[in-house]
Amino acid sequence: MSVKVKFYSLFKLNLKSSGIEYEINSPITASDLIKKLDEDFNGYFSEKLLEAGTITPGSIILINGQNIFHIDRLNSKINDGDTVTLFPPSAGG
Amino acid sequence: MGKIYEYQVLRVDLSKGEITRETIKGKKVKDYLGGRGLASKMLYDEIDPKIDPLGPENKLIFASGILTGTAASTGGRYMVVTKGPLTGTIASSNSGGFFGAEMRFSGNDIIVFEGKSDKPVYLSIKGDKVELKDASKLWGKTVFETTDILIDEIGDKNARVSCIGPAGEKEVLFASIMNDKHRAAGRTGVGAVMGSKNVKAIVIKAAKKQVEYYKDEMMKVVKKQTKMLKEDGVTGEGLPALGTKVLDNIINSNGLYPTRNFQSGTFDKTSEVSGEALVEKGYLQSNKGCYGCPIRCGRNVKLPNGLHGEGPEYESGWAFGADCGVSDLNAVTEANFLCNELGLDTISAGTSIACAMELYEKGYIKDEELENGPELNFGSSEAIVYYTKKMGYREGFGDKLAKGSYRLAEEKGNVELSMSVKKQELPAYDPRGVQGHGLNYVTSNRGGCHVRGYMISPEILGVPEKLDPQELKGKPEWTITFQDLTAVIDSVGMCLFTSFALGLDDYREIVNAGTKFDYTSEDLLQVGERIYNLERKFNLEAGILPEEDKLPERFTKEPLPDGPQKGIFSHYKKLLPKYYKARGWKEDGYISAKKLKELGLK
Repeated sequence: MSVKVKFYSLFKLNLKSSGIEYEINSPITASDLIKKLDEDFNGYFSEKLLEAGTITPGSIILINGQNIFHIDRLNSKINDGDTVTLFPPSAGG
Repeated sequence: MGKIYEYQVLRVDLSKGEITRETIKGKKVKDYLGGRGLASKMLYDEIDPKIDPLGPENKLIFASGILTGTAASTGGRYMVVTKGPLTGTIASSNSGGFFGAEMRFSGNDIIVFEGKSDKPVYLSIKGDKVELKDASKLWGKTVFETTDILIDEIGDKNARVSCIGPAGEKEVLFASIMNDKHRAAGRTGVGAVMGSKNVKAIVIKAAKKQVEYYKDEMMKVVKKQTKMLKEDGVTGEGLPALGTKVLDNIINSNGLYPTRNFQSGTFDKTSEVSGEALVEKGYLQSNKGCYGCPIRCGRNVKLPNGLHGEGPEYESGWAFGADCGVSDLNAVTEANFLCNELGLDTISAGTSIACAMELYEKGYIKDEELENGPELNFGSSEAIVYYTKKMGYREGFGDKLAKGSYRLAEEKGNVELSMSVKKQELPAYDPRGVQGHGLNYVTSNRGGCHVRGYMISPEILGVPEKLDPQELKGKPEWTITFQDLTAVIDSVGMCLFTSFALGLDDYREIVNAGTKFDYTSEDLLQVGERIYNLERKFNLEAGILPEEDKLPERFTKEPLPDGPQKGIFSHYKKLLPKYYKARGWKEDGYISAKKLKELGLK
């Protein structure tokens, strides 16, 4: 089992990657995940997703389709088998 | 002549073939701004809301917003207002491109068509010369052909055309009015009203820019707002790169991406039809902007088979894609191009096919009715292209689709399979997954619609702040603010997308700068409230009663079956009484005398 991270929108186009998988031994937080991503993508994700230590307004971080904003924000727990989906600020309609 | 707060109205009496002029200024402009607001006021004052929308008594109003044609960022929008044939409500449909600004430049801020011509005509405006001309040779032509011919005829390649295609001529109830070939006053069937009056097109080439405003004051604000739009992640990065189709994966990942006529909230083949796919497959050639737009979300697309055009937008791509269960981006784009060419609203066209697919798969539509057309199965690329064309020309089964999903499902004895509100098809967000947005659907004054109060913005996208989509508290008030602010933006003449980066204070600042009006932000929002209430008053008098403030039963009786929102229903029935109260309306949904008086509507 592992944690699947999916990149969309400008993340996907700019990084030319649709995501990454991490093996975890125990639950991690959303914050921990961003640190892991930073190691693999040169600090890209904390620059895009974080602002003054919180989630950049409009950025979307979903754990199994639930926005972490309404779970426990950056302290939200990610378990083995979860899918995390990341979007930069986006809108349309 | 030409002051933006003194509207020059061109009135075209089609029955008599007479053209007259008048001016609107003063309190009415202060109270209704322009665009959607002022045109709605004119319609309300001039017609009986009970009339047949496709009869000669209806009027069709093309209106500039107060800042249309100025230097305001995205200030090129115009509004078409009439009584709508799909819903029977007031219909107002907004479009970008360059036509609106040209209309303003020509000194004709508002154009009103009334009566009915006994033969096809078009309105030609070249400099000061205004003529109604014979359009017999244009009748039957597509939007693209009509546009090319008229630009040729007027003899200036910079002329702008707004016209209907075969769908409008044949009064398809959701026919659009198209300008600059690819931009649409798409929803509510305004094109059918134009067709019913035998008006094929308006072609305009202004001699000079007759747009007078306080330029120095306004330019300072424009500069600041353009910077805000360019620096914002949504309007400066996401929309230019991916267009509105940036939303496919977001809405699908959140579990509210309506699939197979709203039977599901997730589509397993989204990655095949998303905005990202349009870029990665190499179909996107460039992005494109409307008049004065720093955002440039338009898609200039070329398919491997050589077809090229603009789109698809998010809603259009979804309607022919996930909602019909189709994952073939080529077919989806082709169906979208066909809608532009024939003059059809993409949302109602795609979702009416989706409804027909569910009716067909459940046995309510028989094979013989299809007159040798392809089977209407979910997932059929062939069906979406074939039936879009048939709909546009009202041939075979397309004639039934041309009345929209509600009338089709009603005829088949299963009206609940039409995913519509007040007979207009719902757009690309399942209301079970977003409670405020569901409330917006049922209280929209033009039937099922996302751009009356786009609650997706706070509930899903976190703009201007993130709200819990399942929380009910506060949603009536948020929905009202979004609805009233949208009415303001639609009357200013700027694009609704600016509101991802700008707020009420910014619109107040730019309107005041250009006009030297002295609105406070509260005053301006009250203009929006006045417009919203006037539209509601029109609808009530037209016989569209509060009991029609409802969603199809699917959303309250069947929970979302899968995805992250699995098991969830819409709770709009709990929100509606609170919404009425917060609007200052009576418990039964009628507008209270007190509210009417407060807004100067009585």
